This record gives sequence, structure tokens and C-alpha cells, in this order.
Amino acid sequence: MATSLVRQTKLLSIVTSQLSSAACFRNIHCTAACLKNRAARIRVAKGDKPVTYEQAYHPHHIGHRKGWLSQHTSNLQGEDGAAERVVEDVFIRRFMYGTFHGCLADEIVIKRRGNLLVICAVMIQKLLPSKFYFLIGYTEELLSHFYKCPVKIEMQTVEEKVVYKYL
Amino acid sequence: MAASVTRPALSSLCKINSNINGIYSLTSFSRRISISSVLSTSAVTTETEAAGRGVRGQRRSKRQAGEPRTERMTVDQDWTAVYPTAASFKPSAVPLPVRMGYPVKRGVPPAKKGNLELIKIPNFLHLTPVAIKKHCEALKQFCTEWPSALDSDEKCVKHFPIQVQSKEFVSAGLSLRNPDVRIVTLKVKLSSLNLDDHARKKMIKLSEERYCKDTDTLTITTDSCPLRQQNYDYAMYLLTVLYHESWKTEAWEQEKTRADMEEYEWEDSPSQKKVLDTLLRMRALGAKDEVEEGTREELLGQPAVQEYRDTMLRLKNEGETEENLQQYKEAVKKLFNI
Repeated sequence: MATSLVRQTKLLSIVTSQLSSAACFRNIHCTAACLKNRAARIRVAKGDKPVTYEQAYHPHHIGHRKGWLSQHTSNLQGEDGAAERVVEDVFIRRFMYGTFHGCLADEIVIKRRGNLLVICAVMIQKLLPSKFYFLIGYTEELLSHFYKCPVKIEMQTVEEKVVYKYL
Repeated sequence: MAASVTRPALSSLCKINSNINGIYSLTSFSRRISISSVLSTSAVTTETEAAGRGVRGQRRSKRQAGEPRTERMTVDQDWTAVYPTAASFKPSAVPLPVRMGYPVKRGVPPAKKGNLELIKIPNFLHLTPVAIKKHCEALKQFCTEWPSALDSDEKCVKHFPIQVQSKEFVSAGLSLRNPDVRIVTLKVKLSSLNLDDHARKKMIKLSEERYCKDTDTLTITTDSCPLRQQNYDYAMYLLTVLYHESWKTEAWEQEKTRADMEEYEWEDSPSQKKVLDTLLRMRALGAKDEVEEGTREELLGQPAVQEYRDTMLRLKNEGETEENLQQYKEAVKKLFNI
């Protein structure tokens, strides 16, 4: 058994050397390491970092101290379309983050009532109301054309971000 | 540096010109441009600082948010005007001091302003009793009265013996379609159909597991066609065909054997033969051996034999229960005069 192992390692070394020396150059691809225990968590710092309620509680608090940011029926038994809804949600969040850059006070809440897509957002009063109205109209129009469904934005504004605690 | 600052400002100025917003924004932008142009000779840092301070100072003094709607609400206002349809929670429109969330240590749950938890949950602020009354009033003109002749369940079943069920689905998503919508279930009681004995037995045999003996209901479920209308037509067609076929008598139905019978029949059964045999032997101990039609009928007509027949039928058709077995015991005892 030892001899066979030695033979195998010799073979492996030969093969890898051949591969690296040959013109094919096939390398290993790997993704960035996304650890589950570091997702959506703001680590405790010196005590001067303001943090909202949403950011303060970690993902394992969902269902206990936090609600759900996105609601639709596709996750129920016997319903389909869950993957499509998730992809739509991700796109909508990035779109809103980019369109209302620097104005978002907190995460976006997405609700689906039948065909209707409702995006609830809390904004900081950074832009003029007329600009906000323009951007709301622009978003609604564009997203309803993308997704072929009526899109409504329900917006609230606050003077500054609502701080829950300082980490 | 100054040029790059002025160019976007100029373009936004043009846009604002098109927006009739008032002089405010125009003056602010023109002031920003004038500041940057005046200070173009000075150092870069002081210019940007001044521009920033000037802009921010103006912004703070100009942007005063109005008072929330809750301040101007009377106690007897029309709430259906505040929340006419389903909408997310608006803290400036709901005059309740609601708090939601997990409190910080030695603190209270966060207030309603900017509270995302209150926005996340569904609310029923648009469905107060007053709102529902208004909905009902509006819908009344489209409703018709229930027919007064159908005031009990039995009458409904008598006049409308066939029940057709189908499902509608509502879900959140871009598509309305759900393939399970095409399934149609048809239920009918065989007692409401015009069937004689042979037709009823044949129908039950033809429908196999679609017939439920306890409730005497025939259930036909169709889902083979793509549309609900087609499935409904197919179900009605199946019912019609079953009915007509069960009334017909085919030539090969004469060959029905004892094993095909649905119920146990005592006439011509081995049990009857055995009883006759036994009784004849009991009698023939004394008299001569003669098996005639007359004696056979006479024997079968005796009340003890009839009772035995009843208990046998009950045992075989209904199954073995305590009382059935007791009755069988009594009948056998009476038969043999024990």
C-alpha cells in the first residue's frame, strides 16, 4: 500500500509539472470566500459607529427581532416563481441604491400584492422634493417596463438616519 | 477645478430652469456659481470649504419639513380618506404613538418615525368597519337576492343535485396563470339519478373507486384537458355516458357469476343448500326421503329459516360485529331447536 501511494504521488507530481509546463494553463477557479458567519453583520467597534435597527441585528434575529424585507407568496407550499422573485428583488435594491444615491436611510422593503410591486423606502431629506418626485416617477416607469407589472413607490423622509445604537 | 465645478452646476441650472420650481433653487445655484467664480483665484481648499459652507447653510435654512398630517387630524375625521387602499404604515398619517422593535438595554422600543419594522408588516388600516360598510354599500347594487324558494339544504340538493367544484388561485407574481385552475370535480348522489337495481349496480361497478358507499356520492375529477370549460364538458359527458351505459344490458352480462356479485345473496348459496340438507336430514330421520318442490318451499318458509337467512345476510354484507354474531348464534339455536 505504501508503494502504491508513493507511485500515485509521483504520477500526480509528473502530471502537474506537465500541466504547468504545457501550453494549456488550466488553473483552478474559485470564488471570493463568503463566510456565513460574517454576512450582514456589523462588528462591534469603539462605540462611535451609529447603526440602524436593521444593521444592529444579525441575520439569525430574522423572525425573532426583525421582520422580512421582502414579502411574496412564492415561498409557500406548492407555489413557484421563488427564484425569479429573488432575482427581481436583488435588482430592485441595487437600482434604488444607485438611483437615490446617498439618500437611503435604511433598507428597502418590497411588497407584492398580486401583480403590483410596492417598494417602500425611507429617505433622508437630502434632495429637493421636486427631485424626489422626478426620481420616483422615473423609477416607477422604468421598473414597470422592465417587469411588465405596475410598480408603486411609497416613500417616507426623515431628517437624518434613525440611529438605534452605537457600536 | 473651478471650471469642473461650474460645468455640472450650469447643466443642473438649465434643468431647473425647465422645472418651474421657484426662484429659490435658481438663486442658490447662481450663488454657488458666483462664489466659485469669485474665489477662483484663492487656494483650492478655502474655495471648496466656502462653497460647501455656503451651500449647506442655505440648505438648512430653506429646507423646513412641514408639520405632519397627524397634527391637523380631528377626532371625528373620515379615516377612509387617510387610508383608502392598502398602503404601508405612514408615521405622519397615523396619529397613534406606536412603538415597535426590540428595546435597547434599559431603553424603550424605537418610535414610529423612520421605523422600518412598522413598514415591513402588513397593516389593516384600510379595513376599518366603516370602510368595510362603505365597500358593502357600493357592492350592493351589483348583487341579486337569494331565491326564496331555496330556503333549506335539502331543497337545494333536490333541485340542484349535481355539484361542480373548481378552484381559483391568487398569488404574488407577474403571471396570473396557474395550471391547477383547470381541475374540475363533479359530485352527484346516485339516489337523485333515475336508476333501477341493475343500472345502479352496473354504474357502481363502472365507476370503481370514484363511488363512495358511505355517502352514496359519485365523484368525477377531470384534469386531462387544458381549459376548465373543456374539463367541465368532459365531466358532464362522462356522467351522461355512465348513466346511459348502466341502463343498457349487454349480452355478456348474463354470465355474471357469484364472484361478481356486489352483495351476498342467500338464494342459491351454499349456505342455503346446507341448511336445506340439514333440515331434510333432521326430518327424514322420521319420514321418507322425498325432496319435493313443495317441501323445499315449506322448509324455506319457516320463520326460523327466515331468521337464519336474515342473520347470514347481515353478517356477510355488514361485517362481523358483536350483535351480528349474537343474532347468528340465536338463529342457529332456533334452527336446531337447541
